[in-house]
Amino acid sequence: MIISRQKEFHDILQLLAEKNIFIIGCGKCAKKQHVGGEPEVKDMKKRLEAAGRNITGWTVLNSACSISSWKEVLSVNPEIERSDAILVMSCGGGVSVISGFAGIQVYPALDTESLGGVVCNEVVTEQCGMCGDCTIWLYGGICPVIQCAKGLLNGPCGGALEGKCEVDERLCAWDKIVERLKELKKLENLDKINEPKDHMKKGRVKT
Amino acid sequence: MITAEISPPKGTDTSLMLRDCALLEDIVDAINVTDNQRAVMRLSPLAACSILQAKGLETIMHITCRDKNRLALQSDLIGAYSLGIRNVLVMTGDHTSKGDHEGAKPVYDLDSVQLLGMIRKLDQGFDLCGNELKGRTEFCSGAVTNTILNEAGLIKFRKKIKMGAIFFQTQAVFDVRDFAEFMEKTSEIRSRKVKIIAGIIPLRSQSSAHFLNSVPGIRVPDDMIRKMTDAKDPKAQGMKIAAGIIRELRTMCDGVHIMPIGNHENTRALLEMAGLL
Repeated sequence: MIISRQKEFHDILQLLAEKNIFIIGCGKCAKKQHVGGEPEVKDMKKRLEAAGRNITGWTVLNSACSISSWKEVLSVNPEIERSDAILVMSCGGGVSVISGFAGIQVYPALDTESLGGVVCNEVVTEQCGMCGDCTIWLYGGICPVIQCAKGLLNGPCGGALEGKCEVDERLCAWDKIVERLKELKKLENLDKINEPKDHMKKGRVKT
Repeated sequence: MITAEISPPKGTDTSLMLRDCALLEDIVDAINVTDNQRAVMRLSPLAACSILQAKGLETIMHITCRDKNRLALQSDLIGAYSLGIRNVLVMTGDHTSKGDHEGAKPVYDLDSVQLLGMIRKLDQGFDLCGNELKGRTEFCSGAVTNTILNEAGLIKFRKKIKMGAIFFQTQAVFDVRDFAEFMEKTSEIRSRKVKIIAGIIPLRSQSSAHFLNSVPGIRVPDDMIRKMTDAKDPKAQGMKIAAGIIRELRTMCDGVHIMPIGNHENTRALLEMAGLL
């Protein structure tokens, strides 16, 4: 799941220079995280109207990043063609896909943070560093590329204080990795010298 | 082995740095030059080391993984060698969010283990990708370590040796028993070739002791803080404590590394008190 958070309302207002705005939410990740499902879209509409903006309409797409026919979206939501801009309440993937179709200004209402998941109804952030070269099993299923603030592949940095990362309140990922590998009886995995990542394997440079 | 740490200036005025170095010239074996420590932007250690080497001083250039990718690191290392710098101290580097350019992109293209491995390749005459160099480096590579090591820390310590660290500079030592435990814990991993240089910070006040206790890897014992609290002259007391630690460490490790809070005006006196001069 793509983890996103809503931008500050004040910042969204600043973005919206156009008069007639259509709002699109997303029925997948953004809905699950309560940042871009129907209730949030309706709330956004209300707040924007209260701030004097003309909201031409709204919809929540099944998945904002996966659109098979824009024509179909337009036929169900003809108000889009009478709008000057679209505010998309999805991750950057959805904003980008819609921008490719829309032919008018598209704004993001969310900031995309990381690739995470949902565990027992609780959203967990930063589960995958999207390095394009997955070796997560070596680390007991805990991705050091993203869970370690410095993305270190060969052990901790020495900056943790009482088990807490030097960057913020998170626990040192490397303590978690050691514990998990102990449980799996695979602590010897850590004896391996892990080579620097091959950044050519990231999708970004392949295209 | 006695080494001492200096920080390059934040700006182009090197006069204070040079004054500090003049105080150290005939009393230390080498001067450590920090690399944007605590992620605060300063004059580059490569430039600072070069200035000092030209004055005939032996330097140990710090090199962190925070600010440069593998190209820039190699380029700097080859450049450093060509300017006469022979000793490097490799470390991960404090995170950018802790410094004065909070929004900077933290690089960490390599970690410290990988960086040591890369230096070894340069020493063998090849770059990281195996391309042959016209003229190799021949570095004396070191790494840093906390003396209070958990399991994960110990694993990394071992990897650093495996990848070519031949000396370690430790975080500041205040509790000699902690240090003894560290030496014991790592004795099987280390060979005799791997030298341990213990970090020393003379306390200046009760508050400096409290502050240092909040630094990862440093533990100032309670009785030491009490001594600082009760002292009429806290700076003198701090020197006395540091000299005592150095005396105790002498038989336990291969050297000490002096990292005063502020400048080196008292370093000579400290080393004299410790019986090293």
